[in-house]
Amino acid sequence: MTRFLLTRLFHGLTVLWVVVTLTFVLMRVTPGGPFDRERRLPPEVLANIAAKYHLDEPWLKQYARYLNGIFRGDLGPSYKYLDRGVSDIVAETFPVSALLGIFALVFALAFSFPVGICAAYYHSSWTDRWCLLIATLGISLPHFILGALLIWLFSIQLGWLQAGRWEGFTSVVLPTVTLGAAPAAYLSYLLRSTLLETLAEDFIRTARAKGLRESAVLLKHALNNSLIPTLTVLGPLFAALITGSFVVEYIFAIPGMGRFFITAVTDRDYPLIMGVTLVYTVILVCANLLVDLFYSLVDPRIKSY
Amino acid sequence: MIKPLRKGSIVALSFLSLFFVSSCNPFSPGGNPKAFRVNLGTEPPSLDWSLATDHVSFNVIANLMVGLTEFDKSLRPAPVIAKSWDILEGGKRIVFHLRDDVTWSDGKKVRAQDFEYSWKRLLNPKTASEYAYILFDILNAKEYHEGKIGDEALLGVQAKDDSTLEVKLKHPASYFVSITTFEVTYPQRQDIVEKFGTKWTEPGNIVTNGPFLLASWQHENEIQLSANPNFFLGKPAVEKVQMFMINEKTTALAMYEQGQLDFIDNHSIPILEKQRLSKLPGFQRVPQLRGYYYGFVIDRKPFDDVRVRKAFSMAIDRSVFPKVLHGGEQPASCWIPPGMLAHDSRIGLTHNPPEARRLLREAGYPDGKGFPPVTLGYNTDEDHKIVAEAAQGMWKRNLGVLVRLENQEWKVYLKKLQTEPPHVFRLGWGADYPDPDNFMKLFTALSGNNNTHWKNPRYDQLLELAAKEFNGKKRVKIYDEAQKILCETDLPIIPLFTTAESTVLNPRFAGLEYSPMGRLMLRHVRPSRTEDGR
Repeated sequence: MTRFLLTRLFHGLTVLWVVVTLTFVLMRVTPGGPFDRERRLPPEVLANIAAKYHLDEPWLKQYARYLNGIFRGDLGPSYKYLDRGVSDIVAETFPVSALLGIFALVFALAFSFPVGICAAYYHSSWTDRWCLLIATLGISLPHFILGALLIWLFSIQLGWLQAGRWEGFTSVVLPTVTLGAAPAAYLSYLLRSTLLETLAEDFIRTARAKGLRESAVLLKHALNNSLIPTLTVLGPLFAALITGSFVVEYIFAIPGMGRFFITAVTDRDYPLIMGVTLVYTVILVCANLLVDLFYSLVDPRIKSY
Repeated sequence: MIKPLRKGSIVALSFLSLFFVSSCNPFSPGGNPKAFRVNLGTEPPSLDWSLATDHVSFNVIANLMVGLTEFDKSLRPAPVIAKSWDILEGGKRIVFHLRDDVTWSDGKKVRAQDFEYSWKRLLNPKTASEYAYILFDILNAKEYHEGKIGDEALLGVQAKDDSTLEVKLKHPASYFVSITTFEVTYPQRQDIVEKFGTKWTEPGNIVTNGPFLLASWQHENEIQLSANPNFFLGKPAVEKVQMFMINEKTTALAMYEQGQLDFIDNHSIPILEKQRLSKLPGFQRVPQLRGYYYGFVIDRKPFDDVRVRKAFSMAIDRSVFPKVLHGGEQPASCWIPPGMLAHDSRIGLTHNPPEARRLLREAGYPDGKGFPPVTLGYNTDEDHKIVAEAAQGMWKRNLGVLVRLENQEWKVYLKKLQTEPPHVFRLGWGADYPDPDNFMKLFTALSGNNNTHWKNPRYDQLLELAAKEFNGKKRVKIYDEAQKILCETDLPIIPLFTTAESTVLNPRFAGLEYSPMGRLMLRHVRPSRTEDGR
């Protein structure tokens, strides 16, 4: 177990280093700099700004400075949000994205399990077709369409829920559903197809022949043996959901971290790009590690360590 | 045989799960419904007025602070903290006399030394302020910023006593007092800035002198201001202001229509909704001191020939733009915007297709034949695309020239303007301070913002003359001549229109001022008469 964890830690750190290095290089080769403005700055002003943020140093030195900062837990200053450091920004916005992501994940699981099970169990019936239709809609509708539709219906027409901001129950429902819809639909599909395969296995026939209750056959034997693919996608899905979504946060004015994956790039806010990428990578690596550990719990034939 | 599960139990499970999700409520109830609520659009990047560079930050700062002067209705500097000023030595020395009844939010008096500190901080190379150059007219300011002079005592700004600020300039600058309307010149408290470092702008740390106080700042979410009971011009009528940060215009508009916002502007109004909203009570279009133009790179063929540039300008019917953009834009053939000193709508080339065709023929391209392939560049944006397509259509129709359109992401576009600019490029310019100098300087030979590569010594000389001239009428005359060179004779740019801000104020309130500089001034906002029962 210890060896397994150490190996995974080493792999994780390697992934982290590769991501940090690639992001660092990609940012610098992208045309346009953080202080390019419509109102072009005089050279002496630009020189002082470059000196303040060490942008006048060779790339290698900047890279070493950045790595050194990471080891000290300092993600550097933001070039756009001048009163705050990247660590402050991440610390303030990540919890909001994480909470919304967890809501969306719970929604996705709460939706996908009943729908996936129903669709597989009543295969080729009307129930299956309805479940598939809902799931297809969930996958095909992009966030910005679904979000706008939900705002139009529940905020403007019915006046039940708040159109935007993050300040109470009525403001949480619409972004949760918008963010959770696609994962819910995808997980439903996945569960349905794996359950269909499992239900055709010999051991299910044996269980039924032994007179087990249908609910026990389905929920214990079939479902347990169909969870591996779902667990596999849950790791990256979890990382993606809790680090925020640009579109959902943008539409619903959620003060989360997701927007920075886009805005930090358009602003060329190098430290902020690095910061959010780093957080995302750490969470992704940890989530995948957890999934690996869960494999062996779900299926004892798989031994991760 | 497979026994069917009870469908009901599965449906119940689904609803139970959904109930679990929807019953989680980690929040407290909403705020005070009596507050005045506006949408900033985004998080203000900085509330440090030495570092702020954008409208969102300045819209907050303008309600927290006041400076030496502010511009009046005719866009001339009017006294605020400065009760008067003397222009001495032919304009090379300005002495501001300060009121002695202005206090900071912690009760201390606003002193001339606070201005001296703030201006020196703006110019300090370590501050690395983007707007440092705005004070480069001050004696030794540029040299100090460049690090050539280390001693800040040599700078031409000095507090003679608590209520006298002396400014020595390198050269006479008739526009200099206008610069003091700009937020970056507002005073600062040295003790506060040095005590809290980069965190000095956070609520609890910041000390201000304006109509409102910074009560709270939830980053990316909301700023709350409270009325300053000790504001020297009188406490504002609204007790509290909530400034939200809603990026998506459709969402912000929905919130206005649900009664969750009291004021919306272009940050909150989708382009397609502008016409519908123009019928609402409280709708107003506020012309802005912001010009929109196409520039020619004049050292490249075919735009090295002024006849071609003139033909391109005369082929454009500028009245089309307000019709396609729906934003109340004002067509412009001259460069100084309406409302500003020396604006003259008679200057510039107007729509004249036959003359445009004649000029093009004279330049060797009859009906556009033999015209080399040219590109019009703009940054990716729906409005810019609409304008570019309209111009492309008019050039094709009136000149027989098909111009290729090319759009790029903003920062890539800005970089390309420097490295490999398109033949014709789009840019805009908004006033920092309401003086024609701020607009006209853009196209001098040494201006870093002159992307056209055009130079005209007479133009530069006229701007220097205008800067030294304190007589308004004479200044106008000088700018008229300069504008004619820019927009009629040499034509390195085609001014297209000036922009306007569409605003809607909830009829429950009155007194909001949206300035031509794009500032949201909340000092005089009050419940409207019908609302407060008078």
